[in-house]
Amino acid sequence: MSLEPEAARPREGPAHEIRFTLNGVQRSASVGITMSALQMLRDVIGLTGTKYGCGEGECGACTIIVDGLSVNSCLLFALDCDGRELTTIEGLAGDARAKVLSQAFVEYGAVQCGFCTPGMMVQATHLLATQPHPDAAAAKRAIEGNLCRCTGYQKIAQAIVAAGQALAAGDQP
Amino acid sequence: MNPAVQTSEDARRFGAEQVEHVDRMNPAVQTPEDYLAATSLVEALTALRAGASVCVLAGGTDLMPQLHAGRSKPARLLLNIRRVPGLDAIGIEADSLRIGALTTIAQLLVDPLLRTQAPLLAEAADHFASDQIRNAATLGGNVCNASPAGDMLTPLLALDAQVELAFLGGDGSARTRRLALDGFFTGPGSTQRKPHELLTALLVPLAPTGQVARFFKSGSRPALDISTISIAFSARRDAGGLLHGVRLALGAVAPTPLRARRTEALLEGKALDAALAAQAAASAAEEAKPIDDVRASAWYRRELLRNMTRRMLEDVART
Amino acid sequence: MNETMTRPAAGASLIGQRIAKLDAPEKAAGKTRYVHDIELPGQLHAAILRSSRVHARIIRIDTSAARALPGVHAVLTAADVPDQRPIGVAKDHLPLKSDRVRSLRDEVAAVAADSEAIALEALRLIEVEYEDLPVVADAEAALAPGSPLVHPPIPGAAAGAPVGLAGRADNIAMRFDYGHGDLARGEAESDVVVEDCFALHYVTHCCLGVSGVIAEFDAKGNLLLYSNTQVPFLHKREFAEILGMDPARIRIIQPPIGGGFGSKLDIYPFEVICVWLARATGRPVRLVFSREEEFLASPTRQPVRLTLRSGCTKDGRLTFRAVHTLHDNGAYTSWGATTPFVMMQTFSSLYRVPHCDYHTIAVYSNNPYAGSFRGYGNLQATFAVEAHMDKLAEATGMDPLEFRLKNAQVVGEVSGQGMVFRSCGFQDCLRTAAQRSDFQSKHREYAANRNAPGRFKRGIGIASMLHVGGGAKIYPSDGCGTILKLDDFGHVTLITGASEIGQGSETVLSQLVCEELGLPMTAVTVVNNDTDITPWDVGVHASRTTFIAGNSAIGAARKARAKILAAAASRFDCAADSLALRDGHIVRAASGERLTELARFLRSLHFSDRAELVMTSFYYEPPSVHQDKNFKGDVSAAYAWAAQVIEVEVDTDTGVVRMLRVTAAHDVGRVLNRLGIEGQIEGGIVMGQGYALTENLVVEAGRIRNPSFRDYKLITAPEIPEMDVNFIESMDGEGPQGAKGVGEAPAICVAAATANAIYNATGVRITSLPFTPERVYRALHGALPALRPTPVMAQR
Repeated sequence: MSLEPEAARPREGPAHEIRFTLNGVQRSASVGITMSALQMLRDVIGLTGTKYGCGEGECGACTIIVDGLSVNSCLLFALDCDGRELTTIEGLAGDARAKVLSQAFVEYGAVQCGFCTPGMMVQATHLLATQPHPDAAAAKRAIEGNLCRCTGYQKIAQAIVAAGQALAAGDQP
Repeated sequence: MNPAVQTSEDARRFGAEQVEHVDRMNPAVQTPEDYLAATSLVEALTALRAGASVCVLAGGTDLMPQLHAGRSKPARLLLNIRRVPGLDAIGIEADSLRIGALTTIAQLLVDPLLRTQAPLLAEAADHFASDQIRNAATLGGNVCNASPAGDMLTPLLALDAQVELAFLGGDGSARTRRLALDGFFTGPGSTQRKPHELLTALLVPLAPTGQVARFFKSGSRPALDISTISIAFSARRDAGGLLHGVRLALGAVAPTPLRARRTEALLEGKALDAALAAQAAASAAEEAKPIDDVRASAWYRRELLRNMTRRMLEDVART
Repeated sequence: MNETMTRPAAGASLIGQRIAKLDAPEKAAGKTRYVHDIELPGQLHAAILRSSRVHARIIRIDTSAARALPGVHAVLTAADVPDQRPIGVAKDHLPLKSDRVRSLRDEVAAVAADSEAIALEALRLIEVEYEDLPVVADAEAALAPGSPLVHPPIPGAAAGAPVGLAGRADNIAMRFDYGHGDLARGEAESDVVVEDCFALHYVTHCCLGVSGVIAEFDAKGNLLLYSNTQVPFLHKREFAEILGMDPARIRIIQPPIGGGFGSKLDIYPFEVICVWLARATGRPVRLVFSREEEFLASPTRQPVRLTLRSGCTKDGRLTFRAVHTLHDNGAYTSWGATTPFVMMQTFSSLYRVPHCDYHTIAVYSNNPYAGSFRGYGNLQATFAVEAHMDKLAEATGMDPLEFRLKNAQVVGEVSGQGMVFRSCGFQDCLRTAAQRSDFQSKHREYAANRNAPGRFKRGIGIASMLHVGGGAKIYPSDGCGTILKLDDFGHVTLITGASEIGQGSETVLSQLVCEELGLPMTAVTVVNNDTDITPWDVGVHASRTTFIAGNSAIGAARKARAKILAAAASRFDCAADSLALRDGHIVRAASGERLTELARFLRSLHFSDRAELVMTSFYYEPPSVHQDKNFKGDVSAAYAWAAQVIEVEVDTDTGVVRMLRVTAAHDVGRVLNRLGIEGQIEGGIVMGQGYALTENLVVEAGRIRNPSFRDYKLITAPEIPEMDVNFIESMDGEGPQGAKGVGEAPAICVAAATANAIYNATGVRITSLPFTPERVYRALHGALPALRPTPVMAQR
């Protein structure tokens, strides 16, 4: 975790101060012009749960929620986070949906090496918030931007469907 | 979406001996010196007018990779327009559907007005990258990025879309002008937008009665592919089954998205049947100017174009 | 089907249950720290300057501007490490290139700096002057007389010096020659002979976690490496040799890795360079690849050009296989060059083949080099073999399943290469996959529909595979050590040499130990990632971990059980074999009557006159043998089979092949963790799907043209087929609880079955990969250029 002084980051331009809400807590950060939100989260703030997979929006390992929508943090300018609400995998710790989802991930064998898992979890939590009862096709469609090399996606989709069912059942008296 | 390498010059460069590998792996991240998040259209236009080179940021889904790969034009100012109000609305204006430039691709997927007036756009949006990218990418960005393979561009062309460009008037207020999208693209990555102008909206004529429209994007993967080819068709079918106002737009088979005018003329005023569909398909394949690149060969692109245009038109004939 | 994990009833067996992966909760919370997430105090960031030329002499390197950049701590070139030793299988690979570069990934200089941005900036300030040399663009060109040499002889080199220091007189990296039986006799006995060329392409691992390493020297000059290696003990020994250090002073810690799949079985220059930077700066140094660098600099799967000639009698008995292959070895030799070891197993022993003749050459070029990748040559060999099984079946008028069953070995057989099939579920695999997929009737139906009008054609194809399932005795030892300690609370620490690479080894090993000791899964902590603590294991490869490490863990656990029950027998005054461990208690075996809580008993052993702790260890060496110099021998303690039936739909307008359904039957010996093994198989099938349909690393004259996920296409979630996974439990006598290895198997025959399915659908046989829409479309229209015959080298 390091807040590099200006001179140490010649290629990212002068530092700008932004204020935003991260995982429910207001904070500020000093970021370079071309810095991505992913770089800010990992290198400036020190939250390593969000992963670098490709840096160009193809793999989804860097997925976070911004103002209620899932996005690739590697494509988001850190400066554009000013005034916005960001949620990372760390911020899902208290989220009821994420809790059920992570339990399903564990129980359905949806985790192997785990590198894609934070991105999957964030994307799937977002799916369940917007489409509470997805079927397998909808689950797979929702994670089409999240690459996994280990699981073949089958158990991840099953976990998402099961979590949706569990949440729906929990809603009923 | 990420720009495709589509011109023969680009293809040469992509594989050329002269490519400096160290630069590809470690390009100078081009850093603008200044940043401005405009909160009004006038503020944005004033910045654009200021004379210095400006890089416009909306969703960032094209800009960030380009910046880090050293593929963007160097600029002094990074101008974030995402906070400019009023640029993300979809509504009806006179006889057009007005789509704000900052409308995200995700919004295009769900907007009820769009689904009735321009379902072709909703269908193209459905094939656009991933959920994460759709949530951030903007229609204006896709248009200004002017990729030969841009997913939204062929449907917009087929729907006779116009672009609205805003600029700072002499009195310091925002003025606009409109251009047909057809002709707006001048080459891969370049448009008729002047450096001091901002794309503020796309305008699509309201769907006439009898409109038939189809969209096809190739590839085995539902979304993340940059299209090998894309085809958009739109026409008005009268009570006698004759087609009027035929528009056939082709993507990824030329330096810019292309209107297949000779093929359109072939179909204009006719009723579609299997024979005409085949003839039109052959014509479309001839009009295209595809290249060989790492994604596909020119030969295959032509075959695909011919086959899928025929299928598309046969489908229109059947319904 | 119940897909979720099971909660076994207290005292019930854990074997075959669905056990959740032990580290899954932490991974799902994003708390796991991979090498990319580790930040040591004072850590510097490293970056490597790679060649901008495919093949060139290095005339001059000027690092002065880079050294002067504020924040730069060290800049290294070959001049700074004049006594560097070559690495790799053939010792032909100097980490920092001195006089010439031989491929685009070649490491020319390296920087350690305060931040990654400064390190990258410093690279841009390094000036390198090159003098281009003619490019050796492929293996065939490299064999041509007068071809430039990739490793020309170096004047003044010491006699017997390795290739990296001495060069060589030709471009041949390795050759393999194998035979069993009598080829001439095989030909003579054949009524049908088919011959084809096959071309297998470059693909790459695409682990989601990019390569990275951290190196740190402590105050005593000992080296600590945070490494993603899959072979920590081999790594340690090799590093010692490369660095001229005492191996005792090297410690390797393995953080969780973001995928392995065989990519981390070799030593790569970036790791050695990182160590040199740590030595030069006196600080911890971390080096992490960008994704583009990962594509450009990682080892690939071995590309193969192959000509196979197969024969059979008119009643469908295989007679011979004659095959020669040409391998592009790339500029330096890594494990890809040794894939013939595995390929010859398939050519010689997949189905009963009386006569076999196999020759292969690996040839240097200026292309990227190949390493080890899940399946290790078997995907390539099986692609050819199973194409011919279908062709021979058709030529003899036999149904493809019947033809295979006729030639499929059964238990007790010994293959031509000397593999002894002590457990064998081969025929069951074929029958199960075929029956569950309705293969035979669909195959007939789809073939009959081939020429009917219609845009979409369905096809169904079958293929099988054979792979080692009980380790592979290619090193002096194929063993694994386990240390077990039980504490005063009945908690077990399982210390194993076997690495966890995401495949779930830590969970299955815990499961085996808990089964022996009658404890719940919550009772185990696994330590598996520190060479100072864990006993030796040769490494994660050859699908060996469950089998070898499993037997090792069981051995240690049984020793612990024996010790406990012996003490309990004397306490309770009965025979030790009348007691058992069940559900955390010592019980009477026959009645199940609980005598005491295990934890309490352990405390009583500890805090008593006996003053004993239960700590045991066991080193398991499988009873396999090294192959002789003719590559013959029972090299594994067990062998495993699988059969997969794949149904596809071919769009004849576009060439798009949709994989609809995979029906797999895997001979796994015994299912241990049902959840884990399903995950392995599903993941392997999808990896095979990528190999068959979408993945293609485009290499042209030494350049990788698509080094990004945008243009190198991994399978995404909506594309996966329906998967029906079935287990054949052949109960191997040597395997842990009867189990055999399965890590590589599911990826191995996917492309082969897909090729057969496409043929079934269209009548067109495609012998090159991948089956992209364009390739398939071209094949359907006769527009796919024929493959050039594989060049043959004179035999020695």
